[in-house]
Amino acid sequence: MRRGELAVGVLASAGAVAFVTAAIAVLKPYVPVLSMGVLYEFAVLPVAVLWGIWLATAVSIASMLAFNFFFLPPTHTFALRDGANWAALAVFLVTAVVVSVLATQARRRAELAAEEALESEALRRSDTMKTAVLHAVSHDLRSPLTAIVAAASGLATPEVRLSRADRDDLVATIRAEADRLDRVVGNLLDLSRLQSGAAAPHTELWTADDLVYRALDQLGPGGERVVTALDADAPPVHVDAGQIERALVNLLDNALKFSPPESPVRVRVEPRGGELLLHVEDRGRGVAAADRDAVFAPFRHGDGDAGGAGLGLAIARGFAEVNGGRVWSEPGNSGHFVLALRV
Amino acid sequence: MTRILVVDDEPQILRALQTSLRGAGYEVDAAATGGEALTMAAVRPPDAVILDLVLPDARGTDVCRELRTWSSVPVIVLSVVGDESEKVAALDAGADDYITKPFGVGELLARLRAALRRAEPSAEPVLEIGGLRVDLEARDVSVGGAPVQLTPHEYDLLRLLALNEGKLLTHKTILREVWGEAYADESHYLHVYVSQLRRKLEPDPARPRYILTEPGAGYRLVDPLRAS
Repeated sequence: MRRGELAVGVLASAGAVAFVTAAIAVLKPYVPVLSMGVLYEFAVLPVAVLWGIWLATAVSIASMLAFNFFFLPPTHTFALRDGANWAALAVFLVTAVVVSVLATQARRRAELAAEEALESEALRRSDTMKTAVLHAVSHDLRSPLTAIVAAASGLATPEVRLSRADRDDLVATIRAEADRLDRVVGNLLDLSRLQSGAAAPHTELWTADDLVYRALDQLGPGGERVVTALDADAPPVHVDAGQIERALVNLLDNALKFSPPESPVRVRVEPRGGELLLHVEDRGRGVAAADRDAVFAPFRHGDGDAGGAGLGLAIARGFAEVNGGRVWSEPGNSGHFVLALRV
Repeated sequence: MTRILVVDDEPQILRALQTSLRGAGYEVDAAATGGEALTMAAVRPPDAVILDLVLPDARGTDVCRELRTWSSVPVIVLSVVGDESEKVAALDAGADDYITKPFGVGELLARLRAALRRAEPSAEPVLEIGGLRVDLEARDVSVGGAPVQLTPHEYDLLRLLALNEGKLLTHKTILREVWGEAYADESHYLHVYVSQLRRKLEPDPARPRYILTEPGAGYRLVDPLRAS
């Protein structure tokens, strides 16, 4: 028990004993005084529940002394006149101690139950989380696999007769979905590297132009929608090019995914303070204020991304941070993410 | 031309299936959401539906249940490993069969043909499935020409399976049809009767060729010659 808490307990105990004593004094003309000793339980019980057995025992003894002093003849002394009073006092003390023991036990059991409830809730949550992660990852791996198997077996099944264009179409599907699968696996590996601290950056001096061009080169379908506004005078940055490229690709992928199909995605470079800012802006709905930080948590996906694992933004932030940079979502009615790198 | 409605929210899967099914001689309609699927099924009634269980706006199971309120079109659901309970729920809701992702087009076409065949009910009073012969009027059953004695419940069970040749029937569906609503959850009942039926019908009851078990889902009766 902390010191402050104990002080409050002692004060409350003294107050409770004084209150009951006053109450008995008021009731004395109407009720036989010997039977009113039990009223002190009203002081003992709450003290036992709130501050435990030691203070409750002290309250029991204080109550006994007060009862004796004020009400048992001869009053205003701690002496006792007859045996019946002695017996009443003894019974009172024992009752008070027993009550305080029981109350303390009840309190401890309630605390234990609360702890257990908390633990089982935590367990349940981590189970739900694991299930969600498993679902998301299996969806991300299985969707491209399903498309690949369907397209490949379509090509191989004799009873399926295909035109030249159909064959090309199925082959294109296989290639595109294999690339997608590769990106999913890459993301999972990146994330596990980041989480296990195995992502030590190999930093070199790079210009913003280089970083952006490398990222554009890696971009999947839709990359032609990206419009760049670079700054030839922007200062170079000391980063791991591979990791920053992953971060940028993921930000761009995210922008392409959550904006209208034909709309442009803009990349803009801006030196500001001691940082080089890379803005990625799209014409999508943007991120709700309440979600601006949550979108960077792994295994959390936005609307319209049915069941996907949503690892991209988590990885972007992870790689930015191991390179001493930051990633955040700018407030606004359209998508706007910023990657800030230390100059 | 036979028209198939394919429902999946993954554009690449949808596209691969469309191309392959068209190549196999079917006319194909596509839908990416549950809402779209129901509208499409109402406007252009398909001969069979291939339905993904996970859609952005609804569960495939609910789409299937809704569809069943006004259509008896055969439905094959696409499920994934690990979603067994959802798969059974879809079958209970009226789906005819399921296929697990990822799947080959050959297997899908075979399931589709079986589902389409079942959709044309035969008025024949005698069902012949491989060497198995069930005379629905005389309630006579024979295997390879040899008569088989069945108890009334065994006969009802066989009749239900035979009328739905090739179709996966869930435990719940069979129990409800043969024993009544009150027995819908008494799966152990069913397991006992199925093993009795197998002992009487199957050449080797330990390696059943007619009555196949779909683990965790139900049973289906197949023609051993056609099933291989």
